[in-house]
Amino acid sequence: MESAIKQKPAFLPDPLAPVCKMLQACIQCGTCTASCVNSFAMDQTPRRLWRMVIMGQKDEVFRSKTFALCSSCYYCTLRCPRGLPLTEAMAALKQIAAKEKIASCKSGTLFYTSFLESVRCHGRVSEMEFMTHYFIRMKNPVAPFKYTSLGMRLLSKGKIAIPLTKKKKGPGSLKALFRKVAELEQLS
Amino acid sequence: MGKKKSAALVVGAGISGIRAALDLAETGCGVTLIERSGHTGGILSQLDYQFPSNHCGMCKMLPVVDRDAGSQFCLRKGVVHENIEILLATELISLEGEAGNFTATLSQNPGPVDPGRCIGCGRCVEVCPVEKPDQFNAGLSLQKAIYLPVPHAIPNTYMIDLSVCTQCNECGKICPTGAISLLEEKRKDFRILVVDDELIVRDSIKLWLADEGFSVDMADSGPKALELLSKGAYHLMLLDIKMPGMDGIKVLKKARKDFPELCVILMTAYATIETAVEAMKIGALDYLVKPFEPEAMIPRVIKLYQELELKNQLKIEVGAVILCGGTSYFDPGSGKNTFGYGINPNVLTSLEFERLLSGTGPQQDLNSSSNQRYFIRPSDGKPIKKVAWLQCVGSRNLQTEADFCSSVCCMHAIKEALLAKEKFCAPTGEEIEAAIFYSDMRTFGKSFQQYKDQAETDHGVRFERGLVHSLFPDKLSKDIITRWVDIQGKSHEETFDLAILSVGQRPALKTAELSKMLGISVNKWGFCETEPHSLTKTNKPGIFIGGSFGGLKDIADSNISAGAAALEASRTIHISDKGPTIIPKKLPLTRNILRELPRIQVVICTCSETFVKADDLSDIIEHLESYPEVEKVAVLDRVCTSLGLDELIEITDKNQPNRILIGACMPCVYSWKPREIGHKLRLDPALIEVIDIYSRVMDLPDNSAHETRIIMENSLKMGIARLRRIDPDPVKGVKIRQKALIVGGGIAGVTAALAIADHGFQVDLVEQKEKLGGNLNWLLRTVEGFATRPLLDEIMAKVVKHPCIITHNSSRIVSSHGQVGNFTSIIEDMDAGVQTIKHGVTILATGGTEAPVTSYNYGSSKYIITQKELEQKLAGNSSDDAVDPNRMETIIMIQCVGSREKPRNYCSRICCQASLKHALLLKDNNPAINIFIFYRDIMTYGFAEQYYTRARKAGIVFIPYDIDNKPQVKVCDDGVSVFAFEPIVGRQVKITADLLVLAGGIIPTLGQELASIFGISLDENQFFKEAESKFRPLDSIKEGVFGCGLSLGPRSIPESIASAKAAAQRALRILSHEEMPSGKITAKIHQSLCVLCEKCITACPYGARLLDHDLGKILINPIMCQGCGTCATVCPSSASFLAGYQDQQMFDIIDAAMEGIFN
Repeated sequence: MESAIKQKPAFLPDPLAPVCKMLQACIQCGTCTASCVNSFAMDQTPRRLWRMVIMGQKDEVFRSKTFALCSSCYYCTLRCPRGLPLTEAMAALKQIAAKEKIASCKSGTLFYTSFLESVRCHGRVSEMEFMTHYFIRMKNPVAPFKYTSLGMRLLSKGKIAIPLTKKKKGPGSLKALFRKVAELEQLS
Repeated sequence: MGKKKSAALVVGAGISGIRAALDLAETGCGVTLIERSGHTGGILSQLDYQFPSNHCGMCKMLPVVDRDAGSQFCLRKGVVHENIEILLATELISLEGEAGNFTATLSQNPGPVDPGRCIGCGRCVEVCPVEKPDQFNAGLSLQKAIYLPVPHAIPNTYMIDLSVCTQCNECGKICPTGAISLLEEKRKDFRILVVDDELIVRDSIKLWLADEGFSVDMADSGPKALELLSKGAYHLMLLDIKMPGMDGIKVLKKARKDFPELCVILMTAYATIETAVEAMKIGALDYLVKPFEPEAMIPRVIKLYQELELKNQLKIEVGAVILCGGTSYFDPGSGKNTFGYGINPNVLTSLEFERLLSGTGPQQDLNSSSNQRYFIRPSDGKPIKKVAWLQCVGSRNLQTEADFCSSVCCMHAIKEALLAKEKFCAPTGEEIEAAIFYSDMRTFGKSFQQYKDQAETDHGVRFERGLVHSLFPDKLSKDIITRWVDIQGKSHEETFDLAILSVGQRPALKTAELSKMLGISVNKWGFCETEPHSLTKTNKPGIFIGGSFGGLKDIADSNISAGAAALEASRTIHISDKGPTIIPKKLPLTRNILRELPRIQVVICTCSETFVKADDLSDIIEHLESYPEVEKVAVLDRVCTSLGLDELIEITDKNQPNRILIGACMPCVYSWKPREIGHKLRLDPALIEVIDIYSRVMDLPDNSAHETRIIMENSLKMGIARLRRIDPDPVKGVKIRQKALIVGGGIAGVTAALAIADHGFQVDLVEQKEKLGGNLNWLLRTVEGFATRPLLDEIMAKVVKHPCIITHNSSRIVSSHGQVGNFTSIIEDMDAGVQTIKHGVTILATGGTEAPVTSYNYGSSKYIITQKELEQKLAGNSSDDAVDPNRMETIIMIQCVGSREKPRNYCSRICCQASLKHALLLKDNNPAINIFIFYRDIMTYGFAEQYYTRARKAGIVFIPYDIDNKPQVKVCDDGVSVFAFEPIVGRQVKITADLLVLAGGIIPTLGQELASIFGISLDENQFFKEAESKFRPLDSIKEGVFGCGLSLGPRSIPESIASAKAAAQRALRILSHEEMPSGKITAKIHQSLCVLCEKCITACPYGARLLDHDLGKILINPIMCQGCGTCATVCPSSASFLAGYQDQQMFDIIDAAMEGIFN
């Protein structure tokens, strides 16, 4: 497989540019990959993903699910000999994917939005509601079936709470907080 | 020769300090060499093996000409030179004055053991009850509180670690020579003032201290204390902080002002610790937290007392100061300690591993036994099979604030891996497996690349490109589990028996204090900073840096920079009219004894009757006096003291013997007395022999009077046998033509010329081109951003108007012959015709040039250029040819073009920096420009690493390539396309660019023809072959011919300048003397027996012999001859012999040794 490195024309703002800035000092030592607890599930190793960002291979970056699988354990950030903000870079990629509405990242983006929606309303994740939201937004009737067996196991172990019919009102809601953050983000 | 004023002060007696001191001493400069620790040799005393030979080789640094001025034994054991005064356990505490005229205050802390009395018998160690980790073995074994700082020094004086010593004085009681004084009897004179408002505290402290023998007074308030202080002299004040009325801080402030010499220890309750810490900034020495037990206080007071009492200060006048403080190591146990160093015993540092390998290390018993060659793990005794080395621990790591490369660890790790493989095997008989985890293998020095290749291909050392972040011990076996990701992104897990951390370097201990005191600047990592284009100059004139004190150098580079510092110091001393002068070498005036029969005066020193009673010697005396040549046997007590020496002079003055034999203890043998005695008696020092008669007696049981007698008697008889047949012929000197020839007028050549000319010697500078300046004519700036033009202009201005420099432009050397001190060379000048020059030394500064590039389609497109062309094009302002970064979109650079592979299998050292320099410049001018650099290993050693980091941060993309899979270049109409495999992304990439820049490396211009004209050899890459790559990096095997600059090997501008100065200093060792004495032990020839077979000429490793066709004789240059005796062994007719070791003499010595043993 061969891929041409695109020379980014300077006048077009590259959505990856801020992430690239975070990573430029990378020496490709691979400490991040060796440290990553989720790397077994990733299609691209973190190091390779950073390389792709640096080389401006935007399509390949967003075709990958690596950043969506980052669980923000901060192992890589802690260990990077260059002291690079790698977890932040992963988060930045998630945000870019959401903001740019990149098709290949739809499922990951929806997962995160659904998750946060639940947090916004209740101050915690209500698993059942979150999954329902996610499946509805996915607009894919087959999707839930893929998770059936996992769902059953989780349910049997009491990991998924059956939603109460009456929602508790009160201090659980984080809507005000989310509003304020959105305001601040808009300002910046 | 009387005691001289020191001309220079060298601080630190590691390898650089020794080099600087010897280089100065050999020119006739008096040098004071001080060292904080108790031994010379620095870090090298702990490192037994150096690559590429995997031997030591330190002795190669010893003087080659005028050998007898210094010691001629292993340099690790100690340094001795008539012009060097060594002060151990000494620190520089202040420096006043200016360049050429400094007054240095030194503080000496020799400890409770008197070096003049300690004979190293070791009885004290047997009785000492305290054990502590052995520093010499990096804490891997234990030693007593009274210990030898290094096992191999001669003479080796014991030291006491006062921080652990319990003052039991068992050692003092057993010491046979009374060398140890723990000073208890003098404690009465040490006056302590205790200030506290509580009577009970005062009283109990007074009681405790009085029990220890100190004089104690008390004061119940601040004003009372100050009153007492003004009345009588106190040494120490124990001061409470919280007191009614005047508190401790106020008292302290006042006391510091009025009595600056007074030491103050504060006493504080828990609540006021912060105040106490604050108080220490005002000048308190220490603090004690109340309530405290006597065990907490007494040792501190005693330690302080010892330090104060034993320290003596001395002032010396010096012209220049050279700082050779070396470096310290990063402590991997500090910070996050992800490797578990200090927690898992199977994680060691590279120094600890080196000690394990050593024959004097903690496994020495194991290492010396020949049948078992296993290497056992110190923690649990498991035989070691697999070892991993982890590179860049504490280097190249922004998290430990080390944005620099420690330069030496890569080669150190390879060496250790090879040593482990060579010396040991696994119990199954297999080789030890070694893996080195690295991110760039920095093989940038001369012969480094070959060494690495050999390690990889011939010895099977595994090189894994990957960083291991943390180490986990296996729960049961405590083996080390490593996890890393290879370049393709595959994760690996592997278990090793031992993990070695290649720890990086840090500034030497107390660098900050020293630099602050001297007013010299340090860089952001705390290493001493040098001026632009210099490795040795600090911002203070007259203070220079040698070796790794200025940061991160290997042995060869340390030696070169120390030599350069010596030159700068010598120049400072030379041009200052106020400073101490250099004393040129004079042959000693001796009385003519050629026609006298041997008359030997034997002197036996009883060494305070430690081993024998003077009365018991009568048998020996009687026996020795029966020898016809023995004049008289005298018995003296402690000949090493000045009293003993006077007595000796008196006796010998009366008897006028023509040979003297002194039987004494071992330290006496090495303490250089023969010269002093010889000068006083006008007797050739070579005719005075000091022999050790007690070392072998020391180990005998108490009731072995007979054995004692035989050993002593035979030792003395061997001495007599040697002296009886010694050649009384005084040493010959060789007249030196005090003039230098320098070939090559690049920056190295002109620097060397200026350095020698500044000492007042004539220099002929020969340059083949019409203009001086060499590569600096086209180079614009260095990677640091310093312009090179002002440097060249400044030095050229000096060269042109210097009265001692004659330049020959457009000239070449036609022939040269002769030997050190007397060369005759013919030069052909384009204008002036042929000239003959007679000179004493030659410096080859023939330089180098960019290697011609033949690969990557070079020459087929104007878009493909070399780094040199890029430098020139970046200078061009408006011409079409110029490179304008603003009109460029993408630039590609390829490193290692033709380098580090056959036939040019060496790293050119500076191409990576040159590419970074250009890439950063382009990026600075146009931040939008894309730059891709294809590399194999980025060789930004030392502080150049920061430019690599900067380049990465600037967005320059670095793509590694493999030697078997090089990038492919395709030329297009408006640029070039490069196809290459990107190993991290794991696929082929195509990059189109406006410009492709190739880093072609450096080749020397020296050439075989010039080398043979000067009789030197070239290495396999056509560079100047040095006598020894680490310890004599600038000398050729042929004495009197030196190399510098690019002719030695690729190096940067500051490194070239340093090598030129160091080479000039090597040359000045010879030029400074009108006549050079030869060594006493040199080869001679019985001309009547010689058949002119010339076997000895080929055998002589120093080129000291030649056949004179006119005379029909073999001639020996006595100052080039090193007295090795090879010629004597190859000579078929026994015509060649070694003076001082003639056959009959040796037979006599052997007879004397055997007498009384077999019959």
